[in-house]
Amino acid sequence: MLFFPQARATGNDIIDVEMHGKDDGAHVWFDPAGIHVEPGQTVRWTNRDPGNSHTVTSYHPDVFDRPLRIPANAKPWNSDYLLPGQSFSVTLTVPGVYDYYCVPHEHAGMVGRIVVGTPQPVAPSAVDPSLTPLPDVALNGFPPVDEIIAKGIVRRV
Amino acid sequence: MKMVSAALALMLAGTWPTLAQEVAKAPPPGAFKAVSSLVKLPDFLPGMGQLFVDPATLPAGPFLAYDHDGKLVSTIYMLPIKDLNPNKRFDDLASPGGNVDHVSVYYNAGHPGVEEPHVHVVLWHVAKADEARVAK
Ligand SMILES: [Cu+2]
Repeated sequence: MLFFPQARATGNDIIDVEMHGKDDGAHVWFDPAGIHVEPGQTVRWTNRDPGNSHTVTSYHPDVFDRPLRIPANAKPWNSDYLLPGQSFSVTLTVPGVYDYYCVPHEHAGMVGRIVVGTPQPVAPSAVDPSLTPLPDVALNGFPPVDEIIAKGIVRRV
Repeated sequence: MKMVSAALALMLAGTWPTLAQEVAKAPPPGAFKAVSSLVKLPDFLPGMGQLFVDPATLPAGPFLAYDHDGKLVSTIYMLPIKDLNPNKRFDDLASPGGNVDHVSVYYNAGHPGVEEPHVHVVLWHVAKADEARVAK
């Protein structure tokens, strides 16, 4: 732990991320958008938006044919729709970078990133034309890995 | 038999219910279904109310929005941003709700049912002050 003296999301086995939205549904987001956790920690997402449903869904070929954006040997997940107040948790054991999105709001840029441990740089994999690529608004929504590691928590509010 | 006589009575009275009267109270008749029964969404959406839609009209609608007492407050159309282009148009959208007091138009990032950024066009059937009836 001493290697990461800043606001790193440690000291607790469960790290909370909330799903939020503005009253009229014009803006939706994960808060924090980026977190740095230890291998073995659990991340829990809770829908705090009274007027909408959200999902937390990993980018993985096995889930809706999306590009792989979690470690190759990590298990993908999809929470399905969470109504206001509902939660979904995942325990992350494989170090690396995990990118995820909200199914109805990917095109509104509702994405997030988790850095587990100290990831090794990964060579980008070849583009598979059978997988649906990410829209630019999603690609631009991930906090940089360096910033997440440096700050521990990155918020986009 | 009962229905026939009721219809007959209405005919004799010369007052078939108008479209607006038919949808004035929740639930609206015909193919309209509660949105929360079609997709996973809260039954009452703050800012909009309890929504009903004929699934065949998705995504545009009309969606009929009711307050906590089941009274119609607005008719909402949901128009995907990507469909607002030179090659697409929305015509002849039904508007069964009757008199319109004022109109709101705003961006929505998406929700189950219309899972992409879109525009809400809201025909309010109540005065501005009564929008509060669906605020929460
Ligand atoms: Cu969402």
